[in-house]
Amino acid sequence: MKRKMEPGRGVGDSAETGRPTPLGLFLTFAGVTTVTLGGGYVIVPVMGRALEKRGWMEESRFYDIFARAQAFPGPQALSTSILVSRDLCGFPGAVAASLGVVLPPFLVIILVSKLISDYGSLPAVRGFLEGAGAVVPGVVAAMIWRTAMRRKWNVRKIAGLSALAALLILFPSASLPILLGGILVLYLTEALWKRCR
Amino acid sequence: MEALQVILTFLKIGLISFGGGWSTVGIIRHEVVPRWLGDEEFRSLIAIAQSTPGPIALNAATMIGWSRGGILMAALATLSVIAAPILLIVGAALLAKRASIDQGALDESLRTTSLGMMIMTLWALRPVSLDPLYALYAVAAFAIGAFTKINVLWAILGAGAFNALAGPWVRSLLGI
Repeated sequence: MKRKMEPGRGVGDSAETGRPTPLGLFLTFAGVTTVTLGGGYVIVPVMGRALEKRGWMEESRFYDIFARAQAFPGPQALSTSILVSRDLCGFPGAVAASLGVVLPPFLVIILVSKLISDYGSLPAVRGFLEGAGAVVPGVVAAMIWRTAMRRKWNVRKIAGLSALAALLILFPSASLPILLGGILVLYLTEALWKRCR
Repeated sequence: MEALQVILTFLKIGLISFGGGWSTVGIIRHEVVPRWLGDEEFRSLIAIAQSTPGPIALNAATMIGWSRGGILMAALATLSVIAAPILLIVGAALLAKRASIDQGALDESLRTTSLGMMIMTLWALRPVSLDPLYALYAVAAFAIGAFTKINVLWAILGAGAFNALAGPWVRSLLGI
C-alpha cells in the first residue's frame, strides 16, 4: 500500500500520492551528490536523510534497499539510488536518479581537471597534490581498521579474508574470476555453516 | 583505438568494483598504472577524487578519461564505468523474484570481499620509496581516520595545504 504523506511537501511530489516525480528524484540526488565530498560512505547516509525529509521513503526501508545494493558492483551511491528510485517511480525514476548521481561529479571533475592541467605545474599546486596524495595510504589503512573493528571475527572469516587478499595481491590480472569465485565460496560456506549449526 | 581501450578498461573496472569506494582503488590502479599514469600521479588523482563530490570510481574514470583526450574521452570513461552496474541492476530485477537468496550470508560474503579488496588497495598504494615527511603525513592521516570522528577529507586537504605552504621549509629544517 502506498503510504499517504502530507500533501505539498515540495518540488517534485506528484499531487495525489506524495510520491516523487522523475524530475524531483533527479533534483534531489543531484543536490545530494553536489554537496557531499567523498565517496559512497559519505553520500549514502545523506541520501537516506534527504528521502525521509521529503516524505518519500522511511530511513529503515532505505537501508534495506542499500543492503541489497551491495550485491551489485559499481559505486554504491549509484546502485542504491537506482534501486530506490525504481521502487519509488519505476524505470523513468531510475534513469533520472542515475543522471542526478553522475552529472554533478562529472562536471566538477572536468572543471578540476582543467584547472590542474592549466596550473598543475605551479610549485604550490604541485606541493598540494603531492601532500594530499601522500596521505592516501594512511586513509586506506584507517578505513580497513574501522571496517575490521565493526565486525565480529572468527577463524573461518579470517582465513577467507586472508586467502582472498593474498590471491588479489598475487594475481591482480585475474581479479574478476577471483572476486566472483570468492563471493560465491564465502556465500556458500556462510550459508552452509548457518544451516549446520 | 585509444577510445576502445578506455571503454574496455572502464567496463571491466565497473564490473569488478564490488564494495565501492576504497575497495576498488587497487583494481583501478592495476588497470591504469603504469599504462596511463605514474605512481605519484595516481595517488594525487585519488586524493582529488576523494575530496570532490561523487563516488571515487566515477571521479577516477572522469579524470583518467580527461587526461587521455578531453571531455569526449571523459564522458566515454564515465559512461563505461557505470554501464555494467546499471545493466546488472536492470537484469537482476527481471530474475530476482524467482531466486531464493540468503541475504545475511550474502552480506557477510560481500563484506569480507570488499575488505579483501581494500587490503589489495593498501598494498597497491604502498609507497615505492620512503619519504620521511610523506610517511609522517600518512601516519597522521591513519591516526585521524582510525581513532577520531574527523572526516578523513580534512586530513587529505590539510596535508595538501600544509605541504604546499610549509613542506619545503620543514624539509630544509630537518635536512631531508
